[in-house]
Amino acid sequence: MIPLIIMDNRDAKKEVELLFEFVRDLYGDRLTDEELEEVRNGVEHIAETAAALRSIKLENSVEPFSVFKPHRKEA
Amino acid sequence: METLGPSYNAVVTVTRERAMEQARKAEDEVLSGTYRGPLHGIPYGAKDLLATSGGIPTTWGAAPFRDQTFDFDATVIRKLESAGAVLASKLAMIELAGGGGYRQPNASFTGPPRNPWNIGYWTGGSSSGSGAAVSAGLVPFAIGSETWGSILSPANNCGVAGLRPTYGRVSRHGAMALSWTLDKLGPLCLTADDCGLVLEAIAGPDPKDPSTTQRPFKYNPEPDRKDFKLALIKDGAEGLDEEVLANFEDSLRVLKRVATIEEVELPDLPYGAVTRTILNAESANAFEGLIESGRMSELTASEDHYGLYARTAVLARDYLKALRLRGVIAEKADEVMSQYDAVTAPARRSSASPIDQEFRRVTPGTMRDVMGALGNGAGLPSIAIPNGFTEIGLPTGIQFMGRAYEENSVLSVACAYQSMTDWHKHHPPDLLRAE
Repeated sequence: MIPLIIMDNRDAKKEVELLFEFVRDLYGDRLTDEELEEVRNGVEHIAETAAALRSIKLENSVEPFSVFKPHRKEA
Repeated sequence: METLGPSYNAVVTVTRERAMEQARKAEDEVLSGTYRGPLHGIPYGAKDLLATSGGIPTTWGAAPFRDQTFDFDATVIRKLESAGAVLASKLAMIELAGGGGYRQPNASFTGPPRNPWNIGYWTGGSSSGSGAAVSAGLVPFAIGSETWGSILSPANNCGVAGLRPTYGRVSRHGAMALSWTLDKLGPLCLTADDCGLVLEAIAGPDPKDPSTTQRPFKYNPEPDRKDFKLALIKDGAEGLDEEVLANFEDSLRVLKRVATIEEVELPDLPYGAVTRTILNAESANAFEGLIESGRMSELTASEDHYGLYARTAVLARDYLKALRLRGVIAEKADEVMSQYDAVTAPARRSSASPIDQEFRRVTPGTMRDVMGALGNGAGLPSIAIPNGFTEIGLPTGIQFMGRAYEENSVLSVACAYQSMTDWHKHHPPDLLRAE
């Protein structure tokens, strides 16, 4: 694993704003201003968490750790 | 349950009719010489996220689902019926098992779950009623669920044993989904030994839950061993409540009679970020219908009215990255854990918080739960058992976390600890006075 370049502060803020606008566009009419502020805080936290994940580079061969099994109903 | 249950907001539905029917059947069977095993005729409570047939509501602890019913039993309910156990109640829980991002005890439509040791304090959650009901002696055992902390937290706060099995050990069929790849079902009991007996009854493969393992589980503890190998995570004591730390250090002194204890350093990986991202993405999708319906505003805790909206903003690239890193974490953690019977730590970083306060404000280190992030992210088994009290008489706990599928190892250590201590024999003083 190799540390990857972390987004600079400006990019991170832009990402938070874009994601927040996406959520506000979908659900903003149901929420008060105070609740929207809490949603913004939540989106900020999600972006911070994502940054921690993106800071680690994985080799191409590292697959998602979940198993998909093709389904076939037996007669 | 009908008399004391309301004092703790622990019970949603007393399943009187079904319980009487199952109890009569058990009695007839035992009298006629058919003995199904140690759970035959034993009453229990189920967290109210397990589907039950016969018109018994399954509310998920949430007002929008208070009248919800199913026409089938969850696999766990079915397995316990086969073992002869008697379903006596559906137990209270935090709404949606905490899926809304709650920050306060008052997050159930049945009221804030109160701790039998002091009703001014919280039970922990989200298996709140399961912890309270066992602690208060309303049922000898209960079934809870854990996605991240929901069995260990109430076990810690209520002074009982709580076992989080390996992911896939127990079928999730019929259980409310919060996070498909993190949800686990497990027992809360008075002792670790009881947890082993209940786990044996509920474990096993289930075609209705493809994540269940084919590995068999037979409860086979070795509590008399004197050669346990335990590990402590380096810097794991940082930010611990002082009384929790003192009780933990006392526990280590006791454990040294039967174990060697070494400090280990975990690989530097984003445990919390991985598990949090998986939980955020999966819960937002699991409750997509509720989100789109706009009925989140009917939930009890005000923060649950909007908590899931932010989670819809998790990007696919980040969810997939978390799933890839999860494999790395599982592999690296196993390399460390394969050298030990268990990693030990305090069950939680503090004792129960006051019933009327946001627990994330009063609980130190809530956001830095490496054992919880690693254990749940990698699907590892862990048991929490009581290890003392605070000055004001609230229980504290110790946990033992093992390699995947090593429930017998963590149960053995926990049984050994309980054979040398009597914390599990203490009961809430109000209940003893009531006698």
